[in-house]
Amino acid sequence: MSKGILIFARNNTQIDYIKQAYELALRSQEFLELPVTVVTDSPDYLKEKYKDWKIVFDKVIPIDWGNNDSSTEIAYISKEYRNKKRYNDGSLTKKHLEFKNEIRTQAYDITPYEETIILDTDYIICNNILLNCFEQRNNFLIYKDAHDLSGFRERKEFEKISDTGPDFYWATCVFFRKTQENKIFFDLLKHIHENYSHYLSIFQIPSSVYRNDHAFSIAIHIMNGYSKGDFAGKMPGTLYYTTDKDILINLTKNSLEFLIEKENYLGEYTLIRTKDINVHCMNKFSLNRILDKEQL
Amino acid sequence: MSKGFVFLAQNNENYDYVQQAYLLALSIRATQSDEYKICLVTNEKLNKKQKSVFDDVVEIPWEDAAKNSDWKIENRWKIYHATPYEENIVLDTDMIILQDISSWWDFLKNYNLFFTSKVYTYRGEVVSSDYYRKAFTENNLPNFYSGLFYFKKSDYAHDFFKITELIVNNWELFYGHYIKSHFPKRQSMDLTYSLAAKILDIENEISNNRISYPSFTHMKPKIQNWEKSTEYWQDLIGVYLTDDIHLKLGNFTQSGILHYTEKDFVNENIIYKYENYLGIKNGH
Repeated sequence: MSKGILIFARNNTQIDYIKQAYELALRSQEFLELPVTVVTDSPDYLKEKYKDWKIVFDKVIPIDWGNNDSSTEIAYISKEYRNKKRYNDGSLTKKHLEFKNEIRTQAYDITPYEETIILDTDYIICNNILLNCFEQRNNFLIYKDAHDLSGFRERKEFEKISDTGPDFYWATCVFFRKTQENKIFFDLLKHIHENYSHYLSIFQIPSSVYRNDHAFSIAIHIMNGYSKGDFAGKMPGTLYYTTDKDILINLTKNSLEFLIEKENYLGEYTLIRTKDINVHCMNKFSLNRILDKEQL
Repeated sequence: MSKGFVFLAQNNENYDYVQQAYLLALSIRATQSDEYKICLVTNEKLNKKQKSVFDDVVEIPWEDAAKNSDWKIENRWKIYHATPYEENIVLDTDMIILQDISSWWDFLKNYNLFFTSKVYTYRGEVVSSDYYRKAFTENNLPNFYSGLFYFKKSDYAHDFFKITELIVNNWELFYGHYIKSHFPKRQSMDLTYSLAAKILDIENEISNNRISYPSFTHMKPKIQNWEKSTEYWQDLIGVYLTDDIHLKLGNFTQSGILHYTEKDFVNENIIYKYENYLGIKNGH
């Protein structure tokens, strides 16, 4: 069975997701020895900026507009959703930017692999634990619980998708095999995306922003028959994360350094260092600053 | 051995508990095999339709000890003596059964008496909050829920109900001795059964905290793990019952036994759907 990693990179006016995708692809090669396919609406930019793209990426799949009736290996979007959200850069700076994330719903149709790991571009790989996905019997794996490196923040929003709603799952890192059941899951995901305001309403989610985490969580809940069930297995290991109020300040092969916001002291931070663990680094600005230095 | 569901209903000035018992019986008819009988213990008069769903309607033995009471729990211990069945699942009337639970009987036959000590939220999570049960946690009492329990006619169960009778009739004395903090304003059958087990030192013989079922979904609002505080759970989530009797609360499919707790859960619409499903005439 073919195995690989699928990532989605769509830049907005201030965040270069292609840069993160490139780093993630390098790390995937280094630690996992897996091919990486990137889906992007900026293929020319990618190929121009990274001359070794053919070595780093297994495939670059462009996003196009219109009907998906003419060609394979193109990801189509028929309708753009204007999604904006707040991006923090540490605890004192924030910006409202476009958030182009909905194409993940098409992962099943797009992926060239029989067994796929979808990753967020801001997921920093420092070990090979994700290889254990391919040894699992469950055909769909995702993290439900995650560990905040700050140790003090209580994040109710990462436990349930709403006060009265089902469990929260992280779309950051998802493994799936091409099976009929997973095809149904991703078709359902597309349906949820297309009717997102309806689902926001019936699941009492107090936000208008489309979030893959929420859409995946709703789809898993439905696949489980609107109850607790076993459709989704657990990804190997633990999902560690820092929020966008923390700042990544250093990145080596397998070690990361963060300034973690202090509890009750706005604008002050605590230094922490991680070694050999993968981390979802939500502060995209600080990640890109580090990558700017590294990729020079 | 005869097996059946048994419950006691006594109306008060404000509420028709027989109608709750009727809905519970309808839900049993809709989900359980005819092997399991249904007995209502009551002194109330039932209409023809209500009578039709019970196998047995039995008067409360001896005199009505709750004649002057609004809370009406003084007769609850008599259920042991009133039931015509050898094996019994006793339920509160504000419950409905949503699925075939015949496998529970297979488990319960290993016991003379069994109380559930673990209940669930509507999302299928084990209730961990002691919001309504401080008297249990603070006084180290067995965490029994009397909404659902089982007994087999036996000397063992008989002894248990003898001590229960004593506590019911002298509850302030017994509670005063065992409940040093969070003393309740009135008697609670949960506490009374718990005390009986503690006095007889049989907690571990009549409950099993390691198993998931038999149990029920408990809809008291403060134990649903909601941030939003409410006294009335139907304010926060909807009730959706399909014509073929599948129930969702909010976005969660319900199964097992539901202890709905709020009286207005019982309405014409839900009764009509059950009657219609069972082919009982004159739904509305």
